[in-house]
Amino acid sequence: MAVEIGGIGHSVGRKEDARFIRGKGNYVDDVKLPGMVYLDIVRSPYAHARILKIDTSKALAIPGVLAVITGKDLVPLKLEWMPTLMGDKQMVLPTDTVMYQAQEVAAVVATERYIAADGVAAVEVEYEPLPVVVDPIKALLPDAPVIREDRAQKNNLIWHWETGDREGTDKAFSASDVVVKQDIYIPRIVVASIETCGMVAKFDKVDGQLTVWMTTQAPHAIRTVIALVAGHLGLSEQKIRVISPDIGGGFGGKVPVYPGYVLAIGASVLTGLPVKWIEDRSENIQADSFARDYHITAELAAKKDGTMKALRVKTVADHGAFDAAANPSKFPAGLFGIVTGSYPFEKAFVEVDGVYTNKPPGGIAYRCSFRVTEAAFAIERLVDILALELKRDPADLRMQNFIPPQAFPYMSTLGWEYDSGNYAGALKLAMDKIGYAGLRKEQVEKRKRGELMGIGISSFTEIVGAGPSKHFDILGIKMFDSAEIRVHPTGKALVRLGVKSQGQGHETTFAQIVAEELGLPVGDIKVEEGDTDTAPYGLGTYASRSTPVAGAATAMAARKIREKGRLIAAHLLEASPDDIEWKDYKYQVKGVPAKSKTMAEVAFAAYTNHPQGMEAGLEAVDYYDPPNLTYPFGSYICVVDIDRGTGQVKVRRFFAVDDCGTIINPMIVEGQIHGGLTMGLAPALYEEINYDKDGNIQGGTLMDYLMPTSMETPSWETGKTTTPSPHHPIGAKGVGESATVGAPAAIANAVVDALAHLGVRHIDIPITPWKVQQILKEKGVAE
Amino acid sequence: MHFEGTADIGAPRERVWAFVTDPEKVSRCGPDVQRVDVIDPTHFKVVARAGVGPIRTTFALDVVFSELRAPDHASVRARGQAPGSAVEMTNTIDLADAAPGRTTLRWTSEVTINGMIASVGARLMQGAADKITQQVFACIKEQLEAPAAAST
Repeated sequence: MAVEIGGIGHSVGRKEDARFIRGKGNYVDDVKLPGMVYLDIVRSPYAHARILKIDTSKALAIPGVLAVITGKDLVPLKLEWMPTLMGDKQMVLPTDTVMYQAQEVAAVVATERYIAADGVAAVEVEYEPLPVVVDPIKALLPDAPVIREDRAQKNNLIWHWETGDREGTDKAFSASDVVVKQDIYIPRIVVASIETCGMVAKFDKVDGQLTVWMTTQAPHAIRTVIALVAGHLGLSEQKIRVISPDIGGGFGGKVPVYPGYVLAIGASVLTGLPVKWIEDRSENIQADSFARDYHITAELAAKKDGTMKALRVKTVADHGAFDAAANPSKFPAGLFGIVTGSYPFEKAFVEVDGVYTNKPPGGIAYRCSFRVTEAAFAIERLVDILALELKRDPADLRMQNFIPPQAFPYMSTLGWEYDSGNYAGALKLAMDKIGYAGLRKEQVEKRKRGELMGIGISSFTEIVGAGPSKHFDILGIKMFDSAEIRVHPTGKALVRLGVKSQGQGHETTFAQIVAEELGLPVGDIKVEEGDTDTAPYGLGTYASRSTPVAGAATAMAARKIREKGRLIAAHLLEASPDDIEWKDYKYQVKGVPAKSKTMAEVAFAAYTNHPQGMEAGLEAVDYYDPPNLTYPFGSYICVVDIDRGTGQVKVRRFFAVDDCGTIINPMIVEGQIHGGLTMGLAPALYEEINYDKDGNIQGGTLMDYLMPTSMETPSWETGKTTTPSPHHPIGAKGVGESATVGAPAAIANAVVDALAHLGVRHIDIPITPWKVQQILKEKGVAE
Repeated sequence: MHFEGTADIGAPRERVWAFVTDPEKVSRCGPDVQRVDVIDPTHFKVVARAGVGPIRTTFALDVVFSELRAPDHASVRARGQAPGSAVEMTNTIDLADAAPGRTTLRWTSEVTINGMIASVGARLMQGAADKITQQVFACIKEQLEAPAAAST
């Protein structure tokens, strides 16, 4: 029976793949409207400069160029600035100063895409360069040039955030036997999704209706933001329709509002024509929201026997020129407070300074639920450094310290209530599967021969599913999410959600939840997302929140339907509702399995023969406010070999044990983990965006921004343990981000482990062959 | 980026001075120069094409002789733009008599490039800029030493 339904736990083939593998997805750039014109953007070559003059005459003289929009044109509309999600503001177009390279300076609207690009090249901008600050630590010095002259506060500090017990932590450090300390830089990276950002905006001058097709992970929030930003121009919320069609990868990069979106809408309002704006690859890398860029100093205090006691972390967070991160409003450093990880620290103190620099804005959660990767990397690196200091096996030290299974729900010293976990179980499984003891023996033998082999562990704890309305909101909107289910008379169902898939397979997994709850075959359930005119309001898909929040809403809405269905079944079976039970995906009279009704029969009756006094129909909506976050976890073990000649790191094996609670679709979970691990390998060994002293981006194209391909990616091995979330209706925790969060530390730990006998304690990621070769040369072991 | 070099030119100092401070003449030694507009004897505009790796673009440069101490020292500032890129240069030229009829030209060049060329071509820029400056001074030497030049 269960197999036929295709409910929870089945590797149901992805419904969306029917169109994706045929190349029949419908992305924003596939939207073509009659009379549509194109927008392209003039960008700043300078990281910091005064704009002396913008001459648009040559651009406007090009046949086909319809308009050139500059910051001055936006002033009368009060659109030259827009609010960010973090209570800061961001320029749509500058009126006098640019603050980072590739910043939007003007927009050209033309009848053809190529004419728009010609127009961009013909706009002449005269700049007066200003001093550039690219290093956030230097930006905090008293003599640093002030980047944001528009603020009352005349320095580059955006905010200071701290959590934990400063004095208590200091005391615990003084009383401890051993302290290890490490500076860790987690470099700036970009999500580099296959599809860049873009929009088609269509403003109807007659009825004042705005329809936008947009690459957004959060269509409803965007609709509200548009109404807040442009409401004074008559764009009130009922006149705005945001459609988020198929998305070619989001990873957090499609949460923020970029100036290009506002410009496309403005251009459509101005011209009365549909306007398409699609970023090119370089624009996507150079100007869109970045991730990471955390300068961390982390200290761990322990007893001689290895018992971890206290943690102290100080971080300088580079936010670029505007604080346009996409965290919940009350958490400027996201959920970085998960930095105590899988260990029962008695005391901890964490502080973060957010800093302005002449770099693109951002600080988005690149597949990591709000700064969780940074936190997991810091603690898992630090634990390995402690193991080295105490000459302990890193697996053994972790096993000694893990929060034990019986301690859950566990309240961390930084105030997070971990819902459930079995950390030792996950690590033990990973060690058994990869043959940890054998690998350690092999390593000893190889060292004798001068070969460099390392084994790295990462036993991370994630924190996802934001979140409970008590603490979590974005621009004041609570972070609930929603589901609406309609069961049609013939027993088929339509499910609409407030979240938005970007490749996660929602059309399949949410149908599976409904199938499980209502006993309808998964193929009879259609899932729709991404159209604000039809879907219920929700905060969108990021931070692994779809399954924890919208998945819960889906189960709850289905249960409302099941409850109404019970009354209908009682009516049909001429029994008391109290005597009807839901069993084997059917309504049955208790103790009389022969007397039963399927959901399809009940649905038909809901429209053709419903009980007197009951409303017809079989529909339900649920807005789910999660009681807590969920805490997926896992243990990863990575084995690397290092070439003594080239410094090249080769990931020989990587075994990932994940625990995301109840698994809805094992195949999709495995796919998520494979993708996530590759996105964890990327910053560990390859990806980084840095800037020269003048603020020129280094790595602004895929020639220089090195992404791993299938050639660099090892064959991932995966395993699982299942520790359901006690507070989630189906026990699911979410898995979209775990692997990206956990993998970098495992790889970095493996490389350091391979070089530890040479006195190496830490290497900042990305661990490039050049970095390793420098170390090998310095230690005199380079071939 | 900082560049410097020395050229030994088979021409007397006055003639070298006259050449390197003549906007028309010296500009023609720039890479792929399309146009020179002399605004006054110390201020001129040059349109030139230059390439770094895969990018080839047209620069519009505003050039000013910020210092002229005849016949031995000149400073030249140039600032210009290409679509998506910007360049700023400060060059100095110092002339000294070498053997009779010969002049030693010492030059320095401080170049800042911003934008597309700097970000996309970063790894190729030093080499490209080096090549261009070498060509410029080779051209100056060649023009001054050419028989036709000697008679003017």
